[in-house]
This record gives sequence, structure tokens and C-alpha cells, in this order.
Amino acid sequence: MNPSSLCRAASLAPVALSAIAAVLLSAHAGADDRTDTTALSLTFAAEVGGRPFACGRQYANVGLTDGDIAFADFRLFISEVALVDAAGRRVPVRLADDGRWQDGQVALLDFEDGTDRCDNGTPPVNSRVSGRAPAGDYTGIEFVIGVPFESNHGDPTLAGSPLNLTSMFWNWRGGYRFMKLDMMPVGETALAGTAMSSEEGAAMEHGSTTHGSGHGSGHGSGHGAAAGAWMLHLGSTGCRSASRTTAPDAPCAQPNRVMVSFDDFDADTDLIVIDPAAVLVDSDLQRNAPDTSPGCMSFPGDADCASVLPRIGLAYGDVVGDRQQLMTVRRDAL
Amino acid sequence: MIVRLAPIAVSACLLGTPGPVSAQQVEILDDGFVWDLPDWLPPPPVPPDNPMSAAKVELGRHLFFDARLSVDGSTACSTCHDPALAFNDGRTFSDGVGGARGHRNAQGLANVGYSPMLTWANPVLRSLEAHALTPLFGDVPVEMGNIGQEQALFERLRADARYRDLFAEGFPERGGEVSLFTLTRALAAFQRTLVSADSPYDRYKYGGDGSALSASAKRGEGLFFSEKAECYHCHQGFNFTDTFATSRSGFDEIAFHNTGLYDVDGAGSYPAIDQGLYRFSADPRDRGRFRTPSLRNLAWGAPYFHDGSADTLDEVLDHYAAGGRLITDGPDAGDGSRNPLKNPLVLGIRFTAAERIDLLAFLDSLNDPGFVANAALADPWPEGHAASVDRRQAALGTARGAAGRTDRSALLPGLVAACLFLLSLVALLRARSAMRSNDDPLTRDSPARDSLDKHPSRS
Repeated sequence: MNPSSLCRAASLAPVALSAIAAVLLSAHAGADDRTDTTALSLTFAAEVGGRPFACGRQYANVGLTDGDIAFADFRLFISEVALVDAAGRRVPVRLADDGRWQDGQVALLDFEDGTDRCDNGTPPVNSRVSGRAPAGDYTGIEFVIGVPFESNHGDPTLAGSPLNLTSMFWNWRGGYRFMKLDMMPVGETALAGTAMSSEEGAAMEHGSTTHGSGHGSGHGSGHGAAAGAWMLHLGSTGCRSASRTTAPDAPCAQPNRVMVSFDDFDADTDLIVIDPAAVLVDSDLQRNAPDTSPGCMSFPGDADCASVLPRIGLAYGDVVGDRQQLMTVRRDAL
Repeated sequence: MIVRLAPIAVSACLLGTPGPVSAQQVEILDDGFVWDLPDWLPPPPVPPDNPMSAAKVELGRHLFFDARLSVDGSTACSTCHDPALAFNDGRTFSDGVGGARGHRNAQGLANVGYSPMLTWANPVLRSLEAHALTPLFGDVPVEMGNIGQEQALFERLRADARYRDLFAEGFPERGGEVSLFTLTRALAAFQRTLVSADSPYDRYKYGGDGSALSASAKRGEGLFFSEKAECYHCHQGFNFTDTFATSRSGFDEIAFHNTGLYDVDGAGSYPAIDQGLYRFSADPRDRGRFRTPSLRNLAWGAPYFHDGSADTLDEVLDHYAAGGRLITDGPDAGDGSRNPLKNPLVLGIRFTAAERIDLLAFLDSLNDPGFVANAALADPWPEGHAASVDRRQAALGTARGAAGRTDRSALLPGLVAACLFLLSLVALLRARSAMRSNDDPLTRDSPARDSLDKHPSRS
């Protein structure tokens, strides 16, 4: 029985649903009220090459990019949070359900504030993941960048928040974008560079090898407005189902969920820094590999992903996963 | 209750796709109002100051179809949002009273309650309540022409005995007053019931009826949601747009895109008459950015795009196939595919002839004839009533517009056209004198009053 038919069956039996809901509610309330559980809050910060992230900001020296880049989006999902004790025992954290950022299972970290180039985004921001865990003596933390398979393949506009954000969605087969970092070259060199990537994109779709020239002529505005973009979208690929809007029955070939773990971590004092610069060191954001999506969208066969995904800790094609370098801990920063 | 119950239904189905919304739950959400929705679809968001009620919706329906809401009694909301055309008007541009001409294509109102931002590109029009002021009182362009005339408008409504009951039942807590508040709330409440969710695609995707879609439409669906066509990045979710919110949403999602329809100066500009979001933001990067329209009920939605510049869906597909529209001559000449402000996912698509047919079959499956025929959303006024008598002319205009798309030679006889012209002239004179007499600061400074149509039409 697939998940959607489970739901449909439930909808046919409101009484049963209410009973289930009541049980969930009491279990939930019970867990929260227990005195032997403790509140936990993880605090994240977004940076680019060590500088604080902001939608309107231009960043130099990102990877091999000759020129500045700017961001249009910076969001990611966190799930499967667990504490690790000195014996290496893994104790799941029950995430809070606040009706917006967290649904009890998945949390959205959202650093775009809907301003400047991020204006297709949402004004509220969130840099914390909170929940409760049994009281204990813990030394480490683990979590996943991504959405669990069971929640990853529904229709987002019918789900609860934060899984109803259309902007974080691929399709039902592929599920959510676990991470959405939309970047674009800006400034004086941007027009030529982005025009190239745009044309390469068009060439890819048309199977054409014709390249024009002179894109920069007559562009006196100086706004460096980018037609091209370099997007880092992390998500599951190789998912098999009857159609693109049908959920797969079995896990995808490349789940691309990133397990992040930090030993010797104190949530009260330590900050988790998300900085894509380290994973983009070999990337030129003014260029896109021919015949591929703009940037790296996790799909197989994209040269733009070959150096990026391994540095997030994922195997990609023949390249084995390296240690993840997207997130680091800054001690005593809170 | 809202915050408590909704998450329960969601958590109960966290492991699956849409959590069901039972009628029972919806009833609690909206003070006894029962939404006519399939169980898979959450209701649209409802603002706290305008809870739904059946009486309010019924009042709103009467107002929506009442031509007396316009200054000269000629034009109802339904003139440009005709249920027979899925609440479109079938014209390139919509006409206001007195022959005033807009420069935008009216959008269909199917599922408009799920849109957290109204019109093609006005980022501050965030509710149907606020939006209602624009057609009622806007003067740039003139739509219903009531600027400065709200007291006269209220008097017209109060004079109708039918409205005395309808307002009393719709707003008992306000003693049935006829005011800007009740008028806009009732219109908004009615529009939130304009839900189209019973297309063949809905029956296939949400209703589990595998036979509701042809094999061609299923292939078209696959193409639509593919990285080859990239359509779904903007045309996303239940209403096929990335400007979307339901009563379950934690956020209003609002998005604007430049799709390369034009590039008149090689630097990204659209024709000066309508540069979209740029008009509000004054940010040059916003030139040509418009809200993503829904793709539902396109059979009744022609012509297409913000300026009605594509007569057929084939033309729309040509535009996306080329990754932007090439206009070779005239004032709008330019290669939209090279528009530097274009959304980077509008890359161009190499369709085969068969794929094009499949994609059109998929789009066709989003048409909902039951929505068009829904009696609950139909004109409540009897034949010959003052609420409807004058807009019969407008209905003729609709028929003419619709006919003109397929056979422009089949226009109405010249005699009728001449009569319409004379009537328009009279109406224009009346509207002008009305506007001169009183100016309302409420609407004068409102950014909702969109877009001056000083420029000659391009069509």
C-alpha cells in the first residue's frame, strides 16, 4: 500500500482518523511534558567564504569564479536529528511541530529574507532547529540534510508546512530539493558569462552548436542583471515510479541525503556554520557544463556536480564521497 | 481551533501524501461554513476579519453579478470574469465603463482564493478584500468607475429590497450595513468559493481514476514535469503556479518571472506600457517580471500572457520552445530569448511534433467543465433585472471577443456595433462628470490603482 492510498483510506474513515490523531496528540503532549526530557536547539549560520550571508551581498573569490556572485536563495531541510552519548549510542531528538518551520519530523532552515535577488522567496527567516530528547549525557550530534523518504514524495501544496513550499519541490517522483542554493554571477563580467551559460543551456536543448557573439554590446545599464544562474540543488535522483508525479515505492538509487555528525558538540555554545565556499572551490559559477542543468542539480552526468557533491559527503558517479565540508562547528560562538 | 486541528490531520498523514481535510474539520475552521471541496484539497486561507458564511457568500454572489456596482450600471465583476468562460472574458484587454481600455489581459478567477497576491504584478495587493477596491474605484485604468462615488454606489444597493435581506444575513454583526467593509468582504468570500478541482487531471491524480486521462495526456504530464521542458518549476502544485497558499501554509509564496516575451532594447526591457513588477519596485532588474498564472481552464483563457499577445496555446508553446519570443519588426521588435533578465530556466525546449500534441493534451486535461457549469457560482439575478439588464451588452461583447478568436469575420452586424458605440459614448460622458465631482483620497493614493493606459494599443 503506498502512502497516498493510506491517506485516502484514512480520509474515508474520519472516526479512525480522529482516533489516530488523538493518540498522536496525547503521545506528543506526553513526550513534551515529561520531566525527563530536555529541550534542544541547534543554531545555524549561513556564510559565504567566511562572510555572513545576505541576499543583497556580492561575494568575490568563490571557487574559480572570475568575478562576484550573489545569491537568490539559501534554504535547506534538516531531519533525523539525534544526540550521541559517550558510548556512541544514538538517541533520536523529537523535533517540535510549530506549524511553520518544523512539522515534527522535518525542519526548514531559511536564510533568504525575500529581499533583493531573493524576492521570489519568503520574508521570514529561520536559523534554528528545536526539539526534545530524553535527558542524558551527550557528547555529539547527528542530523541529515534532506527529507526522509517517507515524507519526500507527496504533493507539496497539500502537505503541511514546511513541506508545502512549492519552491522547495522537484516533483513527486524526485521529491523535495533538500537544499536550494541559487547563485548567479554579477557585476562587470556577469553579462558575458551569463549570456554564455544561457546560450549553452539553449544549445543543450536544441542540440545546436551554434554560438553567437556580442552579447555585451548595447548593454549599458550596468546592473549586471543575470539571465544565467548557477544553482546547487540537492535532492534524490534515480527514483523509479510509474510517472513523474507518482511516488516511488522503493528508495531512490541516489538518495543524496547527507548525514552530518559532530563529536564533542555543545548545542548551548556551539554554532553550526553552513558555508558553500568550501564545496565550490573547483567550480566556476560563470560556466555551466554543456547539456546539463544550470549549475549542479544532483542529476547524474553533470560535470558541475563532480567536484561539488563529493565535498558535501556524497558519492557522485565514479567519484567517492569525501568528508562533508559544507558545515563546520564554530565553538563557543553562541 | 485552527492551529490545533490542522496539524493533527497533517501529522496523521505525515508518512504519505496529502493529509485529508474532512468536512467536519473544515466546519470548525470556518464558523460552520462547509466548503464544497474534494477531501484532498485544503481550503484557501481566510483572513481573520472575514470568516466565511453561506449568507455572506450568497451576498457576494449577488454583488459579483450586479452591474449596478459600476458607476453607469453597465459593468459587473462578471463582465470581465464570466463564469461561462471560467471567469475570464476572452478579450485581449478588458474594457471599463465608458469605453475605458485597460492594457492587461483579465485572468480567470478559478482558485483565486489560493493566490496570496492578486493581479499580474502588484506585490502589495495581498487579499481579495483589498483587491476589490481596484476595479470598483480605480481610475487608472477606469474599470467600474466609482471613484469618489461610493455613497451613490451604496445608495443604489440600499434601494434594492433584495439587498436589505442579503446584507442583514451576511453581516448581522454589523447590522447589515452597506459599506466598503461589507462590500469588499462579501465579494472576497464569494470569490474564495471559485474552486476548480474536478478536471480530468484532478480525477486522475487525486481521485485515483487512472482512466480519466488519455495516454497522450499522461505522456504530456511526464514532459511537463521533466527537466527537458522545465514547465513545472514555475507552474507548480495544485494550482500550477508558484504564487500559492492554502489554509495549511506556513508562508505565502509569491513569485515573479521574466520569461523572455520581449526584449525591446537588448537590455531586458518589455514594451514601456507594461514592464510588470518594475512599475512597483522601480528596480531595473524587475522589468518584465509577472506573476506566474495558473494553467487551469486554459480552454477558456485565450488570449494568453499578461498582454494577451498569444492567441493560441500553440503560440505559447512556440514561445517556450524558442526559450523566448522573437519579434522581427515593429515597435516591440527584439529577441526575447536573449533577454538578460529572463528566468534562467526558460532555456528553450526541443519538442517533437508528438510531444507537442502530448503537452497540449495534458493542458487540456486541466480544463474543468464542471467548474464552468457550477450552478452555485452562477448569476443569481433574474432576466431583465436592473442588476443584469445593462451588462447584456457586455455579454455581447464577450461573445464577440470569443468569436473573434476563431473567426474574426463573424463580428456582430455593424448596426449593433454602432449602437454599442453610442451607448459607450453616453456612458463615458456620465463617468467623466462623475469623476470630476468628487475625488476619494482612499483610492487616489493607493498603489492598487495600477497602470495608466495612456498609450495607444499595440494590437
